[in-house]
Amino acid sequence: MAKLEAKNIVKYFDHDGQQLRALGGINLVVEEGDFICLVGPSGCGKSTFLRIVAGLQKPEEGQILLDNRPIVSTGPDRILVFQEGALFPWLKVRDNVEFGLKIAGIPESERHEISKRYLDMMDLTKFANSYTYQLSTGMRQRVAIARALVMDPEVLLMDEPFAALDAQTRDTLLVEMQMIWQKTKKTIVFVTHSVSEATVLGNKVAIFTHRPSTIKKIVNIENKRPRLSEDDSLMKYQQEILAELRPEVKLKEDAE
Amino acid sequence: MKPSVLAKKIAFFVGIVLVWQALDSANVWPDKIFPSPLEVGESLWYGASNGTLFYGIGTSLWRLAIGLSIAIAGGITLGVFMARVETVNQTIGSIVLGLQSIPSVAWSPLAIVWFGLTDAGVIFVTVAGAIFSVTINTYTGVKNINPDYIAAAQNMGAKGGQLITKVLVPAAFPYMISGFKQGWAFAWRGVIGAELLFSFLGLGFLLNVGRQLSDVSQVIAMMLVIMIIGIVIDGLIFKRLEDKVMSRWGLR
Repeated sequence: MAKLEAKNIVKYFDHDGQQLRALGGINLVVEEGDFICLVGPSGCGKSTFLRIVAGLQKPEEGQILLDNRPIVSTGPDRILVFQEGALFPWLKVRDNVEFGLKIAGIPESERHEISKRYLDMMDLTKFANSYTYQLSTGMRQRVAIARALVMDPEVLLMDEPFAALDAQTRDTLLVEMQMIWQKTKKTIVFVTHSVSEATVLGNKVAIFTHRPSTIKKIVNIENKRPRLSEDDSLMKYQQEILAELRPEVKLKEDAE
Repeated sequence: MKPSVLAKKIAFFVGIVLVWQALDSANVWPDKIFPSPLEVGESLWYGASNGTLFYGIGTSLWRLAIGLSIAIAGGITLGVFMARVETVNQTIGSIVLGLQSIPSVAWSPLAIVWFGLTDAGVIFVTVAGAIFSVTINTYTGVKNINPDYIAAAQNMGAKGGQLITKVLVPAAFPYMISGFKQGWAFAWRGVIGAELLFSFLGLGFLLNVGRQLSDVSQVIAMMLVIMIIGIVIDGLIFKRLEDKVMSRWGLR
């Protein structure tokens, strides 16, 4: 059954006073439990699309359905993990993780119980009382993921969360992310510019065209997990995706 | 403080007193208008021993505390609304900078007319002098918040009052601290200035009494007390608060 459905999403960017058609009618069906990665040439609007799904931006046309009901605003049923984490520097790690629960009015003892579970899962327990500036970039992204998971969202949205990480940290998190997905059975929509990352994580990879972007193709990847970025068996998918992507990147470059 | 820095400071202050004493001994000016350090010290001792000095300090600090609290609470509220509600910014916001340029004592005549020679009048002058620096700094702080913080908070369900108290205010706090520091300095000037004009208790009043009695030692003694209180409050409260916030927010 469709968990999330995008129907003909159109969005304009304001570019030097000029209206640029960025999303040219995105149609996408995400099944319950999917781990779908969105790839596309830079500037194609895939991050914008994610923010529209989160309800943080409004499209000019089209609608997003969650469990067949159109979304009207942002809300904790679709939690977004930001590229830079967007953690609150004035809060300790535990309080960052519990932020949404506190907003929801959940009593302290229950909050601690829930946060403890996810701090454990993300290997953050010994940093619970640290401030975020004391953590490495990789640790911060773990906190951001824990903060999203405590909300138990219907759909987890991730906007290039590993883009700023070094290669080793990213490889570790790629494996952990797969374990989290298998453990929590969450529906995940994950934006990335890395084709290799997309093939490691996704059971589906959706390829965006250049602006005005639409979805060009969806590649299914059934390989068993945990997958690693160096797996030979992922090569053919990467080649397939890159073959679709290359002409789009060329179009983008020609347009500039 | 490092010993070398402390030594420099001590040498500097001792130097000032020595130069001062030397000028006094040279008898360039009559003692009546240029008292010696010792006479100023005696004046302080006299005020301290009969209690008027401490009563004056207490009165002025009490007015400062009330006025500054109102200015901070009001300034934060106004600043947040200016930053978040365009209409408020376009209307009230357009006069805040102008109001900020009015020296706090310039509010005194109005305060006397409205409140008479009362504590409320002095406090009014204090609030008027301090509130707009807090407002402007809060506004700047809220405007400079990383938009992802606000988006993340809204995404997790924060809105209205919760968004303001749990995200906007703490996120803007490093800027607001600058507003508090400026605001407190303006508030202190406001208190003393108003007390001078109101002649109604407090350090400013004692300063004015000194002038009326042609007691220059007392005038200088009160100015010293006003300055020392300024240094102490800035160092003990605002500098510490600033250091704490800056390190907590990871800004230094």
